[in-house]
Parts: sequence; structure tokens; C-alpha cells
Amino acid sequence: MINNHPKFELIQAFVNGDLPASLSAGIAIHADMCVECQKTIAQFTEQVAENSFEEEFLDRFIVDDNDALESIAAIDFDHMINAIVDSSDIDVVVPTIEKNISFNDETYIIPTALNSMELGKHAHIGKLTRTRIQLNENEIHTSLLHIQPGGGVPEHTHKGFELTVLLAGSFHDESGEYVKGDFIMLDGSHQHNPVSTNGCLCYTVASAPLHFTKGINKLLNPIGSFIY
Amino acid sequence: MQTNLLSKETSAKSTHMSDKINHPQLCQWLDSVAHSRDKQAFTHLFQFFAPKILRIARGKFPNEAQANEVVQDTMSNVWRKAHLFNKDKGAATTWVYTVMRNVTFDMLRKIQGNKEDNLSDDIWPVAESMSCETEGFDDHLADKNLLSVIENLPQAQQDVVKGFYLREMSQEQLAVHLNLPLGTVKSRLRLALGKLKVQLGEKHD
Ligand SMILES: [Zn+2]
Repeated sequence: MINNHPKFELIQAFVNGDLPASLSAGIAIHADMCVECQKTIAQFTEQVAENSFEEEFLDRFIVDDNDALESIAAIDFDHMINAIVDSSDIDVVVPTIEKNISFNDETYIIPTALNSMELGKHAHIGKLTRTRIQLNENEIHTSLLHIQPGGGVPEHTHKGFELTVLLAGSFHDESGEYVKGDFIMLDGSHQHNPVSTNGCLCYTVASAPLHFTKGINKLLNPIGSFIY
Repeated sequence: MQTNLLSKETSAKSTHMSDKINHPQLCQWLDSVAHSRDKQAFTHLFQFFAPKILRIARGKFPNEAQANEVVQDTMSNVWRKAHLFNKDKGAATTWVYTVMRNVTFDMLRKIQGNKEDNLSDDIWPVAESMSCETEGFDDHLADKNLLSVIENLPQAQQDVVKGFYLREMSQEQLAVHLNLPLGTVKSRLRLALGKLKVQLGEKHD
């Protein structure tokens, strides 16, 4: 059972369109598997939409100076309407074609939220395989991370945040067991050592290199930048 | 054909809904745009939404031209995607909000120097998931008027219209599916839509 959900502030920012694509996709992937969050998102979206298009609400929060009013009037709405209805084009939704990805002879369906994203090549270290998702979000790096049975990530903390959404399989760390659909957001104060007994595939978003905390593992710094 | 559509319950009954917005009216306009490309109905929608979208866009884009682009893109998506709106799944305001938020999101990504990859519709689908294709098919079939009009079309045009409207295949997919050149699919569709417009218009008057 899914035990880890995005907190409400994140869902709000998601609905408002204020999160980067990486985190937005993470929430969409989770919601696809979580009826509870689906409901929360639907309700909140309805509420935001209602507020957005309610005249009184806008009047309360947006103070129009005369300039702004004038320039709104200056836009030729009639011209815009005519230009739009002139087109007989109709948009069709291309039925979602399932995309697959393989790691170590196992094939996984890529979540639809990632359908238009460009994936990099596989890179391997030990039992870990990483595929970078090319989102061009500067210090935020997004990947698919596959862990083979018995593999894990050495104990580390996060300088920024690290989001993991479990797409398949399971792993555990000091705080417990995580299953498919879990949305795990960690910040710099967390320290953990995830291990996957039976293997797993994760969608990860990290905002800064992982920081390894224990003895010999400090030598494993390359893994830090590998995963980040 | 609007009467049977209106007799269905709209979703404007949620606790979040205020009385300040005439939801059934908005739904009806969207339906008219979807089913009969009704320009008058679109003008009503535009007059309701465009000034509000513009004011919201101004809060996100300091550049006036960009704010105008949000209005233009959102409303032209409403015109082109109205048939994807499903009033059983939510209010018209929610649907238009989704369209607007998606346009805004993709534009901000473009401006921030990321990419022109238009990810928003994958993250926040504007249409029903296509996995329940047959369900969508049945829903549309319930609209008997539209269907009877379609069935008066020549078979070749019927195939294209049914694939395009009812099964929501793209023109490219239809070309492959029907084993026709893309140009043929496009011209058949254009012809068929012209006829549909006339016939649906006649029924209205
Ligand atoms: Zn959840």
C-alpha cells in the first residue's frame, strides 16, 4: 500500500503550474497510482479554476490601474476571435502509445507523464543503472534509476532535495519499506541508505549532489554524482 | 441537438461551486463549439474567459505580448479542442483552467530557456485517457443526432470522420489505418466537416 504522498503545499503548486517539469511529472506519476491524491488534485483544481474565473475574486486581488485597463481595452478581441474561428482545424488527441524501457532484460512501461521527454543512454555502476531525463532544469537533475536485486545506494544525505517515486519493485531504508507508487521527498536533514532486496525502478529528481556520510563510502563520491 | 445534451446533468453541483458562474451555460457553449463549430457560442466563451485569462497571465508574464499570447493560445485551444471536454468529468471552468495552465506552463518553460518540448499535456491531460477508447466511443454514440448526420455522409468520408471524431485518431494515424495518403484524409475530412456544418446548422434553425 502506498504510504508516502506529496504534501498539500506541493499539490497546490502542482495545480497552479508553479513547479518545474521534473517535480510536476513526479506528482502526476504518483497521482496516476494514488486515488487519494487524484481526488485531492481534482478538487483543488476545480476550486482554483472557479476562483480564477470568478469576477469578484479577481476584483478583490488584482488592482487594475488605469494603464492596465486601457491596454486591456486596446487589445482587439474581435480581431482575435475572428482569427481563431477562421481556422477549421480540430485538435485530436493522439492515443497514448505506450513507451517501454528495458533494464537488465526487464521491460517497464514508461509513465505517460514522461512520454515527450528525451531519455539519455544507460549508465552503469555496479547494480545501479541510470538513465538521465533531459529536462534542462539547471541544478535539478532527473533520472530513471534501476537497482538490481540486492543493490543499494550507500548511506548519504542530500544537500538539496531528492524525490524518489517508485515505479516498480520495492526498497527499504532506515525508515521502512517503500512500494510501487510511493512518493518520497527527502531534504538535507535526512540521511538514508536505501537497499532493494528484489530490485526496483525509480523516477528520481535531485537538486544537489548526494553527500556520502560513512567511512569507505566517502570514496564512492562518483556514485553521488552518478545518481544526482 | 442541444436539448438532449442539456437535459443531462452537468457537474455544476459540487460544494466548491459558487452561484456566481453560470456553469450550465458555459457547458452549453462548449458543446455548441464542439458539435457544430458554433462561432456565436465561441464568442460568448471568449467574452467570458478572455479578459480573465488576460489578467491572470499579466501576473505571470511581465511582457504584454506574452500575456496576449496566453489569451490567444488558450482560446484557440478551446476552439480546437472543445470536443475533448467531457462535462461528466468536471466543470467547463476546470477544463478551460487546465488548458490555460498548460499553455502558461509550456510558455514559461520556453522562455526560461529550457526547451520547446510542450510537456504539459502529458502531465495534465486535457482529454480523457485514450485507454478507455471504447467508452469514449459509446459516449459519442449516445449523441444520436450527430451520428445520424454522419451516417448520411458518403462511406469514404464517414470512415474518416468516425475515426477522427469518435475514435479520436490523428490524421496521420487515420492515413495509416485506412491505408490512404495523408492528403486524401485531410481533404475528405475537410469536405465532411463542411457538410456536417451545413446539416447541423440546418437542424438548428
Ligand atoms: Zn497520494
